[in-house]
Amino acid sequence: MKLQKEAMDWLDSRLGIRELLHSNLNGYLLPRNVNVWYTLGSVLLALFGLQFLTGILLLIYYVPDTEKAFASVTAIMNQVPYGWLIRYLHVVGSNLIMVFILLHMFSVLFMGSYKRPRELTWLSGFGLFNMGLIFCLTGYLLPWSQLSFWATTVATDAAGAIPVVGDHLIVFLRGGPSVGEATLGRFFALHVMGLPMAFLGLVGFHLFCVRRAGISSAPFGDDYRPTELTKSFHHQEHPGGVPFHPNYTIKDLSMIFFALALLVAITFFAPWLFIPPDALTPADPFSTPEHIKPEWYFLWAYQSLKIFPSALLGLAAQGAAMGFLAMLPFIDRGPERRPSKRPIFVTLYLLGILLTIGLSIWGHYS
Amino acid sequence: MKQVQNVCLALLCVTLMWVAPALAEDTVCIQCHAGQEGSLGEPVDQWRSSVHAANGISCHDCHGGDPTDFAMAMSPERGFIGAPDYAEVPAFCGRCHLGVMEDYLDSAHGRALESGGPQCVLCHGNHEIQMATIDLINEESCSRCHDYERATQVKQAIAATETTLQTLESSVASLHRVGIDVERIKADLFAKRNSFRRLFHTVELEKIKTQTNQFNQDLSETKQQIDDHETELGQRKVVGGIMVLLLLLGGCIALLIRRSYQAEE
Amino acid sequence: MNDSAGKAAERRTFLGILLGGIGAVVAGAFSWPLFRYLSPIDKGAEQQQVRVPRQQIAVGGTHFFSYQGRPAVLLQPKAGEFIALSAVCTHLGCIVKWVDEKQEFLCPCHGGRFSTAGQVLGGPPPSPLETFVVSVAGDEVLIG
Repeated sequence: MKLQKEAMDWLDSRLGIRELLHSNLNGYLLPRNVNVWYTLGSVLLALFGLQFLTGILLLIYYVPDTEKAFASVTAIMNQVPYGWLIRYLHVVGSNLIMVFILLHMFSVLFMGSYKRPRELTWLSGFGLFNMGLIFCLTGYLLPWSQLSFWATTVATDAAGAIPVVGDHLIVFLRGGPSVGEATLGRFFALHVMGLPMAFLGLVGFHLFCVRRAGISSAPFGDDYRPTELTKSFHHQEHPGGVPFHPNYTIKDLSMIFFALALLVAITFFAPWLFIPPDALTPADPFSTPEHIKPEWYFLWAYQSLKIFPSALLGLAAQGAAMGFLAMLPFIDRGPERRPSKRPIFVTLYLLGILLTIGLSIWGHYS
Repeated sequence: MKQVQNVCLALLCVTLMWVAPALAEDTVCIQCHAGQEGSLGEPVDQWRSSVHAANGISCHDCHGGDPTDFAMAMSPERGFIGAPDYAEVPAFCGRCHLGVMEDYLDSAHGRALESGGPQCVLCHGNHEIQMATIDLINEESCSRCHDYERATQVKQAIAATETTLQTLESSVASLHRVGIDVERIKADLFAKRNSFRRLFHTVELEKIKTQTNQFNQDLSETKQQIDDHETELGQRKVVGGIMVLLLLLGGCIALLIRRSYQAEE
Repeated sequence: MNDSAGKAAERRTFLGILLGGIGAVVAGAFSWPLFRYLSPIDKGAEQQQVRVPRQQIAVGGTHFFSYQGRPAVLLQPKAGEFIALSAVCTHLGCIVKWVDEKQEFLCPCHGGRFSTAGQVLGGPPPSPLETFVVSVAGDEVLIG
């Protein structure tokens, strides 16, 4: 313990870290009624951290060449000691992250936490959501299986719906007229370097916004009052609150443990859950599997493209929906955050979720 | 000159790319025969549901001819040999299925061929052919020419091995589903299955019985490999289960700690 | 009041140690696979050499044996020239047979044919038979 104190003293006299730690941990007061949904951010951080770790480990043995990619993944799964574990953690982890991102987004929407002054937090978060989707899209091409090849073909085909530039866009995205070596190259670069760097930057900004604006009170209970919106900046204080550390750090830790338990359970007992049979066969550019469809988090987009009479209309509808969601803080400007007092919003919210789930299920069975 | 060459090459590639999708869809054989009546058109649908079609084996692979060129589709110049006569069938199928043909020709069935004995199509069908199963040996089929007694004995002799083969194949499929690389085992099993199945065509009970013992021994080696994989998978699950429980426990303990802080608030 | 606070603190410390313990076990359980994953893979078992006495292979003849757990064949197409090939057909995995009169390999399953060098001569096989390194040491042929 003496050593610890001496180390802290050394750092403190040079960087003043005691004050930093105090103002962000023990001295950082949060509202008492912060609910379990508030922990999802930390859970996502932990899961993303694990993705980075397993991803870097996979990089050691994976070969980004159309002739060797599938074989390298097979080698990781069968010859590299515990390669199967690292690979499954990475695959299951990526899917769980999408689930938790959606849950995190749903809770933010429900509690109206995107509203002023937290619009930037929302925008950066929405960007992170899209980044997660692109991480998944670029990632599942890499094993070069039938699923990889054809799901990417279907996904990039969607760009063709855009008038004038559509076909050129498809070729640009793929690096060629059809999915091939060039596509693998650029998707690999994006997945392994481009996106991680952009992600780290954006998550840093997102966390900065969260900390800088201060934690919002949960809009429930009789004591809640809508915050007064001021022209000038002020950090959301909670004078009667409880310290972030140890109260909420331990809560975050417990939810991280539960999330990891779920991750490990699926990895060991149902690893096939997120790996359809097409993902186990090497890519064959001349043979399209029957019923090829993208991963579950893209099914809503896939199905909505199919139900509109023209692909362009379908794409436009999706774009409008995503755009609406992105711009939400600028559309829904009222200061009221209590769900009980926002009936229109809550109705649209529930309908939106049901619609997305419905489209996804339809997409799965069609 | 180089530029002209390049342009020609480009044009060739474009033409091929234009034609290739047509190739991937339907051969000229199918395109023509699909629209025909009676015995000329029926084989198309029959073939589509067959094990040959599922493995990419099409009309020209058996009948010869050029599948890409209407004019030369049925030309002897391109290897077209038409439909075989009754007694020509074993040689026709035997161009690919050599082992089976060898054993068949050596057998009582093969020796009876010229006098109207059974050939491949009689039991397996031709265009609608499916993966062979033990049920091809049945009373209705075999008693067309003689009593079913002998066939029953043969069927009994091979039944156990067939069941073992099926069990092993489904175990291999389960292993494949969780990402185990089963290529070697699959190939091994395929080779053994084929050697076993050709054996039946000798229709000699004693020979089949002796060889079956040998096969069962060979198969037990394969079974051992599969068992080893399954044991390993079981072990993984045990460790995984322990980890899940530990993590859940950890989460609960953290919540208990939280609660003790809450009590003080 | 102080007493219950003291007890609470004690309980918290106990729980904290318990949590730390679980965390350590989980981290430890993950660090073993991590260490093995990063360690160089031992390829010793794969590279066992097989020795075959020269007399066992006639000129123009073959000798089937097991190499790396799978059937392989050693042949001597011309005197003193030895070739070692995998005997596993590259089509679907059946074991090829040697046809002496034609000096080529024939697969009994679907008629695939291979030359003495393992090249595909006809039939469905998509690629040549795998070749193995061969050397001669005195009156023994070494494969691998």
